[in-house]
Formats: sequence, structure tokens, C-alpha cells
Amino acid sequence: MGKKALVVDDNANNLLLGKDLLEVAGFTVFEAENAADGIAIARREKPDIILMDVRLPDMRGTKAARILRQDKETRDIPIVFVTSSVMTEGLEEIKDITNAGFLGKPINTRTFVKEISQFIK
Amino acid sequence: MVWKKTKKNLEYAESIIDTVREPLIALDQNLRVVSVSRSFYDVFKVMPEETLGQLIYDLGNKQWNIPKLRELLETILPQKTTFDDYEVEHDFATIGRRIMLLNTRQIQRVLGKERIILLAIEDITARREIENGLEKARKELAAIKISEDEAREYSESVINTIREPLIVLDQDLRVVSVSRSFYEVFKVNPEETVGQLIYDLGNKQWNIPKLRELLETILPKRTTFEDYEVEHDFAAIGRRIMLLNARQIKRVWGKDRIILLAIEDITERRETENGLEKAHEELTALAAELKRVARVKSEFLANMSHELRTPLNSIIGFSEVLYDETFGVLNEKQKKYVNNVLTSGKHLLLLINQILDMAKVESGKMNLVLSSFSIKGLLNDISMLVADIVGKKKLEMILEIAEDLPHIVADELKVKEIIYNLLSNAVKFTPEGGKIGMRASTRKADSKIEIKVWDTGVGLAPENMGKIFEGFFRVDTPYSRVTEGTGLGLPLSKKLVELHGGNLSVESEGLNKGTTVLFTLPIVSGKGVRDGKESVGCR
Repeated sequence: MGKKALVVDDNANNLLLGKDLLEVAGFTVFEAENAADGIAIARREKPDIILMDVRLPDMRGTKAARILRQDKETRDIPIVFVTSSVMTEGLEEIKDITNAGFLGKPINTRTFVKEISQFIK
Repeated sequence: MVWKKTKKNLEYAESIIDTVREPLIALDQNLRVVSVSRSFYDVFKVMPEETLGQLIYDLGNKQWNIPKLRELLETILPQKTTFDDYEVEHDFATIGRRIMLLNTRQIQRVLGKERIILLAIEDITARREIENGLEKARKELAAIKISEDEAREYSESVINTIREPLIVLDQDLRVVSVSRSFYEVFKVNPEETVGQLIYDLGNKQWNIPKLRELLETILPKRTTFEDYEVEHDFAAIGRRIMLLNARQIKRVWGKDRIILLAIEDITERRETENGLEKAHEELTALAAELKRVARVKSEFLANMSHELRTPLNSIIGFSEVLYDETFGVLNEKQKKYVNNVLTSGKHLLLLINQILDMAKVESGKMNLVLSSFSIKGLLNDISMLVADIVGKKKLEMILEIAEDLPHIVADELKVKEIIYNLLSNAVKFTPEGGKIGMRASTRKADSKIEIKVWDTGVGLAPENMGKIFEGFFRVDTPYSRVTEGTGLGLPLSKKLVELHGGNLSVESEGLNKGTTVLFTLPIVSGKGVRDGKESVGCR
């Protein structure tokens, strides 16, 4: 049985790229273009991993992550921030979020799935 | 004349002799005393019995043996019959020092053929003393006058010499005296100044409320006042800021008081001060602005980085997926073109990363992650990394890496980046068949590793030497393609070397004469690193 992944990204192209790479690797992929949708899908589907952009239209990805951490249903889902904010400030922001990882954009398509799989228990 | 007439006349004459206050003595031809006036006895304290018939020189116990008298009686008189005001000074045993004027007459005695000498003695001692006293007094007076004049002159010359305008007022605030500088500074004439009420000076320009306050309210209570600041707009010389220093002094020669008023024009000084203050404010504002600009720049770079990476993620990501034929096979041309997109995308990414790194170094935000590693191992690893392209270009690579290179403490990733930048530059700018090389050794003198990366390539024209560190300088050569470099590799390498506390320099003997990059790295970085602690973070 394939694992479930949720990709949250407001850029349709990047959302598609992530989805393609994960599907090729056998994931069932759910997509969201904003944080609110992402949180709703996460609660409903309880994916094995969440790929989260940081700059989202309705709130920052880090805030969405904190909301998910407060809900015991979604508290333990690993979150990998896939972000263009690769400068120090971006890293500071995710430091205190548990069970979380970081991947800078642009992603390396050849290693992407392998890298995020490390975060799945 | 009188003597010639009669006996009666003689008696009369004798009584005259006795009456006159002036001592008178009559001598015969042999200088023996014939007759003496009473006053003579009184004045010279001699007795008639020891006087008459005596030789004049023997009088009063030879007190009259006076050289000047002898000279008069024996030398001068025989030649002249009269002699007036012959001054003789003599110290008498009985009456002390006397100054006398002798008046003599030699006359023929009516009664015989003998001559007699009349000697009138005027004691001028007291007169002379008075005269001398007067003279002395006159001299002293003159001296006093001179010193007073001198004092006045001195004070006036002081007044006129000082650069600061000075004005002297009497009790009624009328001008007594004014320094020359006062006229010069305030453009007023002496004739319209001295004797005037100060407020009326220069067409009532001096009717300044604050000056009135000083002179009429403050000075009567205090005898001095310093640095009383007055600002006034003068018709003749415009707005001036002055410091007034006032002294109220009692005149030596009277009961009047005078007021000395020194005026210091501080307009220019104040302007300078204000200018300085303004400059300081501007500087502070500028510093704040610079800080703001730096923050804006830093935010801008973060945003730029973010905004460029988002589309680059798609460009690189999708072209990689296509190139890898994840979703189907491409023909040769499609594969070549999609590779061009991929290469360009990666080049763009490198540019962005290097620009960000430059900005970080320049703003002091680049942190070194220090660790201890084998520099020898690192140099060998990187040379292997470029071995592939070295082989493709048929270059010869000569490595001279000293066996005894120690472990160094530095930021390993950044040192790798530096070496890679320099080696790939050497490859890039050396035509096929050329040579590149790297030599590394320890410089014992200052505990630094010295690394030289050289090539036999296109070199640098002397005029371009300074430009290579400016950023985006590109050497146009037939051997380098436009897409191959960013123009930031060398400047960034230099900055990273300096961040470690080393130096990087470039040498070239000219175009097509090859290039040598020489740089040093401390064996232990972190001490004396530029920007101090803030830029060095230890893992």
C-alpha cells in the first residue's frame, strides 16, 4: 500500500512537480494551494508526510504547522518545509517545530523523494 | 659814587652797611678786614674783636681760608674792579655747609691812595635748597606726568591693539573712548561716537533692549558681567551675535565710575557651531539612513532570492525530469535542448547563490562554520573533481602538495568553494594543451598555509588587474563560453579567504602569459578574523 503525501504550495507548477515526483515514487498525493485547505486535508487524510511551502497566501507554513501540532490527530505527522527562503531567517523560523525538516528550492529531483522519505517513520 | 662825597656820606654808608641784611665786609689792599656789617657777625658767628684788622683768611679760626675766595681776591680782582655772583661753597666749622654768592667792588678810598675791597656775601644756601627742592619737585612732577601720560597712552594702545571692539562709557552711558576695532567692526565714525549716548550710536542702531537691560538693570547690581549674549540686526552690518563682557570701575582721579564694555562678535563662531551641529545631525540621519538602507538591501536580497528560486524550482525541476526521461523518451535534439534549459537554470542558481554570499560577506553576516580537517585531503579531493574537465580539455595538471601539511581549522565547505573556484577558473581560461597547477606548503613564519593555483592561459592585461575583483568582470576569450562563469567566483573567493584571516592576490605577466592566484589561510582561523565574533560561528 502506497504512502500518502500532502503537498502544500501556492505555486501550481511547483505543486505539480512535487506531485509528479512523489507519484512516480508510488505516493498517493493530495494537493493544497493554501494553508487552510492543507490543514483540512491533513485532518481528513492523515498523510504520512506533509511537504509545506513557507510563504502561503493565507498564513505562513510555519503557522499552519503549529496549528497541526496542537491537534493530536495531526501532531505526529512529519512536516518537511520545502521553501525558497533558504537564508538564515528562514531556518530560524522552523527551528522550534518538532518532527520537521527543511529542503531548499530549487529541489534536486533526483534525490527529492529519498530526502523526504528519511522523515517518514 | 656815594663814597666819593663826604665824611657824612661815609657814615651814612656805614649805616647802610649795618642795615643791609646781607653780610658785607670791607678789606684793605692787604686783605685785612677794615669794616664788617653787623649781619656778617650774625651770619658767620664771629666776634668783632677777632675780626677787625685780621687777614680775611684767618677769620673764625681760619675758616675763611677758602680756595675759591683766594682765587677771587688774588687772581680775578686785581684784573677786574667788580665781580658779581661769584659762587662759593664752603663747609664752615661753626655754621655748616653754605653756598654763597660773592659780589665784590674794588674802590679807591677817598681819604687816601689805598684801595679797599667791598665784599658782599649773599648766603644762597636756603634759596639753593629751595631751588633744588623745586627742581626736584618739578622733575618728580614731570615724571608723574610722563607716567600718567604713559599709562594713558598704554591703556589707549591696549584698547586700540586688541582685536575685540572695546567701548568705555561714563556713568551717564556716554562714550568716553572707543577702540579702533570698534569703529572698524561696527562701521561708525569717531566724530559721531565719542560723547554720544551709547544707544544713539550709528543712528540709534545701538538701542538694543538686551543692552539696555545689561547697562541699566544688571550692571548697577553687579560690577562685572561676562558673556552676556546679545543678538541684534544692525542696519550697517546685518545680524550679529555678540558676547558682551562688562566691567564697572571707579576712576582713579575722581568719584565717577566708568564702564568698560568689550564686545566679542561670535556670529561666525556660532555659525560654525550651528554648522557643526547641523552636520552632526545630518551625519546621524545619514547613519540611520545607511542602517535603514542596509536593512532594506538585506530584505530585498532575501525577497529576490525567494522570488527567483520559486520559478527556478520549476525550470530546473521539470527540465531535470524531462532530461531523465521520467515520463518518456526524448529524441536527441529534445534531450540536448532540455539540457540547455537545465544548464542555464543551474547557472542562474549559481549566480543567485554567489550574489547572496557576496552580500552576506559585505554585511558581515557570513558566518564561518569552523572545524578541523586535512587541507591536504581537501586539495586532493577538489583536484579529482576537476580532473574530468582537465582531461576533456587535454590540459596537464601539476600538483605540488607538501606531504607535511597540517590539519587546519577553517570552514571546510567555504575552503572547498575557494579551491574549486580557482581551479575551475584555471581550466576555463587555459587553452587546450596548456598546463594548470596547484602548489601548497606551510609558511612557518606566520603559521599559514600558502596555496598557489596557476595556469599557462590567457592571463590578464595590466589594465584589467584592478577590475577582476569588482564583480562581474569577465575576460572575453575564445576559450571561455559566456555561460561558463558568473564573474563573481574570484571576488567571492577573495572575500572568503579574507574572512578566514588570509590574503588573496593575483599575478599575471600580461595577456596570454598565464595567471597565478596566490592565497594564504591561517592554520587556525577564528583569531583576527574580520568582523570579529559576529562573523565566526563555531559548530
